[in-house]
Amino acid sequence: MSDAVLEVDNLVMEFRSRRGTGVGRVQAVRGVSFTIGKGEILGLVGETGSGKTTVGKCVVRLLNPSAGTVRFDGQDITRVPRRSLRQLRARIQMVFQDPYSSLDPRMTVAQIVAEPLRAHAADSSQQTRARAAKAIERVGLPSAVLQRLPHELSGGQRQRVGLARALVLEPQLLIADEPVSALDVSVRAGILNLLADLQRSMGFSCLFITHDLSVAEFLCDRVAVMYLGEIVEVGICDELFTNPCHPYTQSLLAAAPVPDPVRQRRRTGVRLAGEPASNVAPPPGCSLHPRCPLADERCTAEAPTFTVVSSLGHVARCHRVEEEHSPRKPWGQAATSV
Amino acid sequence: MSLAIVPDPEAMLKAAERSGRDWWRRLFHRPPAVIGLAGVAVVTIAAIFAPLLSPYSPVASSFQHILAPSFSPGHLLGTDELGRDVLSRLIYGAQPTLEVGLLATGLALVVGVPIGLVSGYYRGAGDMIVMRVADVVLAFPFLLLAIGFAAIFGPSLRNVVVALGIGSLPGFVRIARAEAMALREQDYVQAAIVTGVRDRVILFRHLLPNMAGPILVQATLTIPGAILGSALLAYLGLGEQPPTASWGTMLTAAQDHLFNDPWLAILPGLAIFITTLCFNLLGDGLRDLFDPALS
Amino acid sequence: MQDLLEVENLQVRLFDRTGPVLAVRGVSLSVGRGEVVALVGESGCGKSVTALSLLRLLPASAQISGSIRLDGQDLLALNSQQLRTIRGGEIAMVFQEPMTSLNPAFSVGNQIAEVLRLHRGLRGGGVRARALELLRMVGIGAADKRLRSFPHELSGGMRQRVMIAMALAGEPNLLILDEPTTALDVTTQAQILDIVRDLRTRTGTAILLITHDLGVVADLADRVVVMYAGAKVEEADVYELFETPRHPYAAGLLRALPGSAAARQEAGPPRLAEIPGIVPTLRAPLASCAFAPRCQSATDQCRTQPPLLAPCGPGGDHEVACFHPESAATVSA
Repeated sequence: MSDAVLEVDNLVMEFRSRRGTGVGRVQAVRGVSFTIGKGEILGLVGETGSGKTTVGKCVVRLLNPSAGTVRFDGQDITRVPRRSLRQLRARIQMVFQDPYSSLDPRMTVAQIVAEPLRAHAADSSQQTRARAAKAIERVGLPSAVLQRLPHELSGGQRQRVGLARALVLEPQLLIADEPVSALDVSVRAGILNLLADLQRSMGFSCLFITHDLSVAEFLCDRVAVMYLGEIVEVGICDELFTNPCHPYTQSLLAAAPVPDPVRQRRRTGVRLAGEPASNVAPPPGCSLHPRCPLADERCTAEAPTFTVVSSLGHVARCHRVEEEHSPRKPWGQAATSV
Repeated sequence: MSLAIVPDPEAMLKAAERSGRDWWRRLFHRPPAVIGLAGVAVVTIAAIFAPLLSPYSPVASSFQHILAPSFSPGHLLGTDELGRDVLSRLIYGAQPTLEVGLLATGLALVVGVPIGLVSGYYRGAGDMIVMRVADVVLAFPFLLLAIGFAAIFGPSLRNVVVALGIGSLPGFVRIARAEAMALREQDYVQAAIVTGVRDRVILFRHLLPNMAGPILVQATLTIPGAILGSALLAYLGLGEQPPTASWGTMLTAAQDHLFNDPWLAILPGLAIFITTLCFNLLGDGLRDLFDPALS
Repeated sequence: MQDLLEVENLQVRLFDRTGPVLAVRGVSLSVGRGEVVALVGESGCGKSVTALSLLRLLPASAQISGSIRLDGQDLLALNSQQLRTIRGGEIAMVFQEPMTSLNPAFSVGNQIAEVLRLHRGLRGGGVRARALELLRMVGIGAADKRLRSFPHELSGGMRQRVMIAMALAGEPNLLILDEPTTALDVTTQAQILDIVRDLRTRTGTAILLITHDLGVVADLADRVVVMYAGAKVEEADVYELFETPRHPYAAGLLRALPGSAAARQEAGPPRLAEIPGIVPTLRAPLASCAFAPRCQSATDQCRTQPPLLAPCGPGGDHEVACFHPESAATVSA
């Protein structure tokens, strides 16, 4: 896949934490691999503790990965020193979750949106102003906003400014870290529509991090589901949401309440027991096994590998799925990894 | 789309947002801070307008009128052992006091803040070294340092300023470092990093303006310490020398006359006390202002 | 039969640095015994203020008028001692943020025991037994170990369960849940909703559910009250509201949800229905419809007169405050 914009291979991110007695190691991300093609929106879905935000930060090198590789546009950027990253950064941009802390409270909107231009482009100040104004217009804000300070804007408007800032350099890849989670429902719709429109017109690739499956389904081409630092299932939207194979994906879909009382009250679905395990001591074997209704002895001892479920790239990492698709392999024999 | 934003009731019940415009007004709602501000203003005016305000020259001695008590004709606060008018010396005495206070604090700020800023932003081995050095300076008695300076370079105002400045450094390093560490994690700083903004731009455009508040508070709270220190050093003869009028030297001279004219010591002592107190009150008021939890 | 909670023409004026804010403008609602009523709206609509005013938890500067009757008793006329008996006793409240609602210095058991002693008059061994029972009721396993735990040792979902247990300890007739699952992960949220549903069947407590999440409403509520800018704009039985919302705001909210079918019906790229503009905050009484600036069906009448609540649809328990309510045909299910 040489035209992939982003290739992440076996990414590991470990933190050292000082908790209670002694020093512990927390593996927030435990071997994550995925690719994003040109113009594709990949959703990264998971709950708190899944490691999805950490993956996003590793991709932009806000964090330095402990192991694994990140290739952007064919170039390995995993361990490149920060100075050489600077040029590259113009092509990968990020939008943040909290509209209240993602804009410098002491800078005007014009200054905020112009900052990337000043960092990379050698434009005259007039050109910079023009490009910033165009960026603001593109996100649907009136030009009067340019002279305002962030605290004078609403949450939705701030997120639009954040988007304008991220897109002013026309990057190849946008990392969106829960950009609508902190917004009201009616405001969310506007931002999501805007993001979809801009992606269609500008053609950038996007890694869309969220905990909300319905948002992922609306916006993304493909979705990867994460649990406890690992990807457990990946597939194109059509397939993943109509035929979720991994018990965790199924439970996520079953848990999210549907805004329709008739359907919602009739639903039964996979319910996971208990709480997500801690990252400090993930369960052996399959990390979901303490909570999974389908777990058996194999799950407690052997970590599952990816099984191909369809020819369109739908894969799931689960023993039950594997057994269903290749029943000839009894436990104990080496499974074919995918 | 309307741009007029009004806070909603729910948000109101939680915490109020700080608006740049009305912090001045809020400062006036706290009586201690107002007192502090008034006191600082008085001392500053005295120092700046001393020639206009004081009735006599501070060094004009008159052997006919030595040790006159307060409320003597022509001398509201009496005269000292050399016949110099006490009120004039008090007013002029504000000058070296403020000078040292501001210069020493200014020195500590200008040197300490960049060190703390860089240290807190980059962390790592350099940060650890900086912190240990700051600990050493803090543990070092500044008096020894000042005496050492005086011994080597001779007693003067300049040396006092340097000694006190060094003594006040760790405070600024610490606060700048703490702020840098906290601000670095803010999304807008992370956004700047991701955008590829150069580090020095991040430090000066994003971090420094956003930590101005706490640094101002630190400065306002460092000045009284510097003033006390300078008075102490002047009293010990390590700072400005007589006949320069300074509250510290006034104390030195007053020692010999404690029994026949205690006011010669009480008045400069009071001046030092009130000035220090007022700076502290102002600093506390400013600190409360910048603390979002108390809004 | 008298309803358990009857709120009539509630008006709440709050004060911020700039002046008065009309947070609640004449809201009337009722909750019957054992009924689950959802109070729905986005931030700034006044739903939380309404709930807090029931228990008089607003700042002292707030001005409240109207009447709030619990079992016939006027809550606004009570003195602070009488209020204290009601709070945690007949009316209990669970807040959104479990971390800040629990006292970090006391164990879970201690905090539940406090409620039991205060409101149920239990003593000694009876306290512990009942506390264990409550914890088990909210699905906390290893209950006796949990009694000794401190809030920081528990996860968000656990803490919320403890909050619910504490609320139930007083055996309230009315339970107010203020955004109980907003701060939780979706799988944890599902577990909490299961617990609430189960408890409601077992204890028959009436519930006033405050939320912006229409999925939670669809799961739990019997009746829904939609608020906008401090006023009630629509009230209906839950099935009817989701199928035929009449007020343009309510209809717009439903169409804005990615999970709704409306988004996927059009040809071409899917779009969510947007409601442009923002929720206003009112400082003076309005002589118009508060939603008019954002409404596609607004006419001059909407801009010059405030619409009153009027019944619409069959059955008579569906009310809407709008001059041009959406007809059943224009809303897609």
